Amino acid sequence: MNWTEKQMMAVALARQIENGKSYIIGTGLPLIGATLAKSTTAPKARLIFETAIFEGNPEELPTSVSDLRVHYRAAALLPQYRYFGIQAIYAKRGEIDAGFLGGAQIDPYGNLNSTCIGDYHYPHTRFTGSGGANGISTYCDTIIVMKHEKRRFIHKVDYVTSPGWIDGPEGRAKVGLPPDKGPRAVITELGIMRFDTQSKRIYLAEYYPGVSVAQILRNTGFDLNVTRAVQSEAPSDEILDILTHKIDPSRLMT
Amino acid sequence: MDNTTPKLMTAQQAIARYVHDGDCIAIGGFVTNRRPYTLVLEVIRQKKKDLYVEGGPSGGDIDMLIGAGCVKAIMVSYIANSGYSQVCRRFREAVENGTLLFEDYSLDVHTIAYHGAALGLSYVPVKNMLGSDLARLWGISSETRRKHPKLPVHKYIIQEDPFHPGDELCCIPTPNIDVALIHVQMASPGGIIRITGLPFQDIDIATAARHTIVTCEELADDEEMRKNPEWNSLPGLCIDAVVHAPFGAHPSQCYDFYDYDPQFFIQYDQASRTSDGFQRFLEPLVACYDHDAYLDLWGASHLESLKIKPGYGYRPGLRRK
Repeated sequence: MNWTEKQMMAVALARQIENGKSYIIGTGLPLIGATLAKSTTAPKARLIFETAIFEGNPEELPTSVSDLRVHYRAAALLPQYRYFGIQAIYAKRGEIDAGFLGGAQIDPYGNLNSTCIGDYHYPHTRFTGSGGANGISTYCDTIIVMKHEKRRFIHKVDYVTSPGWIDGPEGRAKVGLPPDKGPRAVITELGIMRFDTQSKRIYLAEYYPGVSVAQILRNTGFDLNVTRAVQSEAPSDEILDILTHKIDPSRLMT
Repeated sequence: MDNTTPKLMTAQQAIARYVHDGDCIAIGGFVTNRRPYTLVLEVIRQKKKDLYVEGGPSGGDIDMLIGAGCVKAIMVSYIANSGYSQVCRRFREAVENGTLLFEDYSLDVHTIAYHGAALGLSYVPVKNMLGSDLARLWGISSETRRKHPKLPVHKYIIQEDPFHPGDELCCIPTPNIDVALIHVQMASPGGIIRITGLPFQDIDIATAARHTIVTCEELADDEEMRKNPEWNSLPGLCIDAVVHAPFGAHPSQCYDFYDYDPQFFIQYDQASRTSDGFQRFLEPLVACYDHDAYLDLWGASHLESLKIKPGYGYRPGLRRK
């Protein structure tokens, strides 16, 4: 069975979710990845949303983290400040495994920009702003979703909305952030990148079936180590069937 | 608020009485859920201006305020009709053209700042924003802030944690809110309000604000609401005006009542690309001189098509493309 780039991304996202663990899910494609994971390989995963919805169980694809579809069969709906506190405390204890985020630009240490291109005060392009992304990247390991384009994977982002590893292994401690948490993976429509445990610099871990390493390098605006890269497993017919017929039949996101 | 002053009034009366040019206003709901559109449209209709907006998780309602020229400054953490547009277009254009004062915080910081305001705290000390440009760059300089008394003099102050030497904290000033606008599921003429589903930050901004205006899906008697005080969100002490406005959150969602109106958001995304398109889109909405006119504009069958299905909490199969 064939698949689209976005469908492969959704499958790759879903693969990052382990059964029984808790994740903070941001808006956009992470919603699809999480919904797919819960319907397939990780039915006992716990999804937390920045609207303070705990263990949301969407059956129909939500378009935002506040969507009534996220409330469906949730464990608790709390005042929003409770999310703030639970994120700060539970991530520290390791009881929130990771958070999913998106961004417009990323640098080799996983620092993300979702605020603006160009000068902050007179931007060429203005985006939504942090949303909950800054908080998630402050306290949790993160799984980042990006479009793989040269102008997005750059040496230095125009504005750091969500801090990653900053500039190396001492980076986070230096700026007062929890030093043992940081970006874990970057999922694009071409492959999966991870961060070296020593240097904290990004490297290519997987390329999807049908994608070449050369293609990935052409679309990356900084040096990318590819010596550890392997080809991802193709998505199964079963998971594609669930994705196209159950999760996103109207093709809202995939 | 004096307990003998009547609170039940129209949106026109409430906005005229409590919202003034130059006010700091906070708006309830979250992006495309339970945003007080009826009240926001009335603010636009009455041509209020120079407003300082505590955006929090902002949606197209605030974009409309910006497009209509009502906003002097926005404290933004996120602004989009999520899932229907990447970023609100009137906001984006205003920022790119330099015609809007703006300051970036993160959503979680806004939330805790509003909660701190509701607790009467001067500031909230957090780890958030450290190590990012949110705690390095100021959208509004201290020089400009001195010209705007509604704004705190500092965006934040970074200080050592007095109880953990060597550890840094970002101290965020709590906002001084003049008026909070929220939409709730049930309220009484005495100002008792009942929010069902997620409260978002509504209870905090309603408590912190000097004046709070509420639209409600259902208007119940005070006595009826006192039968179950455990379900009530705030007493009349915190509420200044109650407006009975079914579908008062349309086109956004309302827990227990209706789903969002995708066609509205899709059309707004298109129309708001240009200033002219935006004005044409807005015209029929602000031409509605009262809430009945707004309801008739959309029509019963259209509004009926958005109602939630029992057992689901949303409208399964709603056409969203």
